[in-house]
Amino acid sequence: MTDEAIALLLPAFRRKVFGLAYSFLRNREAAEDVTQDVFIKVWRALPRFDGRASVSTWIYTIARNASLSALRARRPQSSLSDPEVMDAVDAIDTAASAESLVERAALLRLVDQLPTKQRQVIMLFYMDEQSHEEVSTMLAMPVGTVKTLLHRARARLSAAVGM
Amino acid sequence: MSNPDSELDRRLQALFGGLDTEADFDARLMARLRVESHTDAAERAIRVRQEERERYRKALLGLQSWRRSMLRLLTLDTLGITLLLVVAAVTAWPHVNREVLSISLQYGPYIATLLGVLLATVPIVGMWAEQTHRPIRLL
Repeated sequence: MTDEAIALLLPAFRRKVFGLAYSFLRNREAAEDVTQDVFIKVWRALPRFDGRASVSTWIYTIARNASLSALRARRPQSSLSDPEVMDAVDAIDTAASAESLVERAALLRLVDQLPTKQRQVIMLFYMDEQSHEEVSTMLAMPVGTVKTLLHRARARLSAAVGM
Repeated sequence: MSNPDSELDRRLQALFGGLDTEADFDARLMARLRVESHTDAAERAIRVRQEERERYRKALLGLQSWRRSMLRLLTLDTLGITLLLVVAAVTAWPHVNREVLSISLQYGPYIATLLGVLLATVPIVGMWAEQTHRPIRLL
């Protein structure tokens, strides 16, 4: 029964959990490892899930805690502004052309320079359905804060790219 | 001329919209879950066996303790009370008149049953006292 529940939850939350982990860790492999761990934890804890919080809130809480633990356990991560940027962009979209890769690398570098919360909001907001509410649940912060962070981040990015 | 904000939106969406796990992520996760499932079942079986062993050990200790307390009560309390009753009966016997004797003969089985019940309550009271850690006071 738990396996069936996981089979249902996986397509609905895999990308979101991965995105959340990636927004913390900024490393594809580490984010995948954390995502796997999150679903293992969910699978184990599912029989004890009492439904007091919604499933999404519960899963995002596990994902945030797992990401923070992984972040703490890891050595200080080099910035995406380093030569790793191209790899990071390539990891996000392997189908991109060489020209767009350079453009994307530049944009990713700018995103990387944003304060942590702004960067996370930008990543999660543009990753999926562009829902303030969803990002608010994922990061456990009020919708108003998400909107403010998003506005500030976009303003900084606009100024930086000269738009 | 395009709207600058929508252009930035488009670029950001292009950058992060494709963010996803590797294609074999689900298969790897399910394989890991299967391994975890077998490990969990084995651990559960070991745990159940340990719990069962512990329950048996506790039950055995409880039984031994009960046996010990019964033996102690039988040798001290019960024998003492029986001796007192016998002494009381022997002392009182010459003073009992014929009428009382005939009544006692008539109701002999009932009196014997009553005495039996009284004697049987001694170890029960002893057990209760041991469990509640209250001292037994005969007088």
